[in-house]
Amino acid sequence: MGVILAQVAVSGILLGGVYALISIGLTLIFGVLRVINFAHGEFLMIAMYASFWLFSLYGLDPYGSMVFVVALLFLVGLIIQFLVIRPILKASASMQIAATVGLSTLLQNLALVTMTANYRSVDTPLSKAVVSAGPLLLGVSRLLAFLVALAITGLLFLFLQRTYLGKAIRCTAQDRTAALLMGINIDRVYLVTFAIGSALVGVAGALLTPLYPVFPTVGAYFVLVAFVVVVLGGLGNLTGALLGGFIIGLVEAFSGFYVPELKEAVYFVVFIIVLLIRPTGLFGVVGAEEVGLK
Amino acid sequence: MSTATRGKGAMFSAYRFIPGSSLYVLAGLAVVAAALAFLVKDKFYLHVLIMMLFYAAVSSAWNIVGGFAGQLSLGHAAFFGIGAYTSTLLFIDLGISPWIGMLIGAALATLVSGAIGYPSFRLRGPFFTLVTIAFAEVLRILTIYAHDFTKGSIGISVPFRPAVGNFIFRQFSVYAYVALAFLVITVLVSLWIESSRLGYYLAALREDEDAAQALGIDTARYKLVAVLVSAFLTALAGTFYAQYIFYIEPFQTFSLDFSILLAMMAIIGGIGTVWGPVAGAFLVTPLQEVLQAKLGGGLQGLHLVVYGTVLIVVVILLPQGIVPSLAGWGKRAFGRREARPAPSLKGDP
Repeated sequence: MGVILAQVAVSGILLGGVYALISIGLTLIFGVLRVINFAHGEFLMIAMYASFWLFSLYGLDPYGSMVFVVALLFLVGLIIQFLVIRPILKASASMQIAATVGLSTLLQNLALVTMTANYRSVDTPLSKAVVSAGPLLLGVSRLLAFLVALAITGLLFLFLQRTYLGKAIRCTAQDRTAALLMGINIDRVYLVTFAIGSALVGVAGALLTPLYPVFPTVGAYFVLVAFVVVVLGGLGNLTGALLGGFIIGLVEAFSGFYVPELKEAVYFVVFIIVLLIRPTGLFGVVGAEEVGLK
Repeated sequence: MSTATRGKGAMFSAYRFIPGSSLYVLAGLAVVAAALAFLVKDKFYLHVLIMMLFYAAVSSAWNIVGGFAGQLSLGHAAFFGIGAYTSTLLFIDLGISPWIGMLIGAALATLVSGAIGYPSFRLRGPFFTLVTIAFAEVLRILTIYAHDFTKGSIGISVPFRPAVGNFIFRQFSVYAYVALAFLVITVLVSLWIESSRLGYYLAALREDEDAAQALGIDTARYKLVAVLVSAFLTALAGTFYAQYIFYIEPFQTFSLDFSILLAMMAIIGGIGTVWGPVAGAFLVTPLQEVLQAKLGGGLQGLHLVVYGTVLIVVVILLPQGIVPSLAGWGKRAFGRREARPAPSLKGDP
């Protein structure tokens, strides 16, 4: 029994790494732009399709083609920020939600029209490979997804702490007006932040392609999990998103083990309870949703 | 609901009378819709008419909390599903007439909305929206889980036993009259709220909740009233849907897409106005039904591509929605002063 529980815990943590990676892009965008991108899941869907087609048309392994997918998503982010997000930055929260929900509907159904509702999956030698660590079995793709998620989060931290652009992003998140007065080009910071957030979900998409089939509404499933993770960790809180990812990964693994049919309900209930009791997230300071990126 | 004085003020007492012009518009709309229901014999066009009236009613019901109170719920499918499932299960398992089941379902949805709304309303903006999504998802999963009781993912078929008492009609056009009655009731409730003190309180808290509280408005209480009314009306529509389509299942009735569609229609037409959701539903529904019927399964989803695009364009270019924008242009063109400013959707800077 002990081994089984340890196995469940390990798969939960590995799964949590992927959730964290999807969520970090979402929380970064919220922290800086104060916009919740409801189309974030559709960005993931685009990344997964790109990864799938690069594999099936050109035989590129999803890990190898990750560079192209990330570049594509960076570009998608730039375009969407320019066309959709920038015009609504000053609108009310309701209108911002409406615009990104519209974008989500548009992208999801564009995929349905062009790609059909068929499930497509990539089958590489790595996707089924398993390594054993003592009595535990670890899926290689899951392990890779987990390690890359950690590495990317580390790089993002370094970028935000050490580079000029990173500092400008944090400064804008803390106080738009002050950042503007310090001569920071806020418009450009928003553009770059949104593109980086999208590129992060591009990484997640590439890592998920060997693990999950691609279909037009795949993003809708993951984005709900990402919302749970992000709120749990405190919106705009990068470390929180990482820890939130692990928590939800564990919650999902254990509830999947004990009550498989209610697996999703369990983390939504956790979500509701967290929102109602501590809307700033588990690790957030009260009022943190007003402060921004940490 | 009475006009009796409660608490600090009479919430439902009319601050102004419902403007006569609105009642004429409603009467005109009812006459035209009833005439169409009587004259149109083609089953498909009659179906389009029924769906237009149906969506106009549900979107208006959504608008009471989403528009008047400015709380963007994306969980209204929960109330819709409770209405549909309650009346259908009571009808099939216990033989209770769906007319009575409809009221029981609506009462149940109202209770649930209170239980959801009361703790959720202290959340603002995206947090509120997210919690409404989560509640609807939990209800959907529980409906699938309780399959002994709800038949789970398989769904429930309503047996075709035509009788007025069974809320099942052999004549197709009767559904149009029933849907029209729902729409008239919902619009009357909306007009009533808009012209009552409640409507003014809701407008105040929508524009600036802190300022409204500072002025002594019990914002939590009025938001709660708005969601109770909205949930009741939405659940009624759930029963109508079950009785008209003859089939319900959890993925459709509790779907996030349905909640989004309601919000989308209201926003396109003009969120927070009485006629916005009606206009939005009248514009959007025919497109949906015609595209679905003409393109069949081949290009399913195409209408949603159009909706998504229209929604983004409306939010960016006409954030007040089509009806207030048209009204504004009309008034400017004919040089009449605006009687009352349209609800502003400008956010904080």
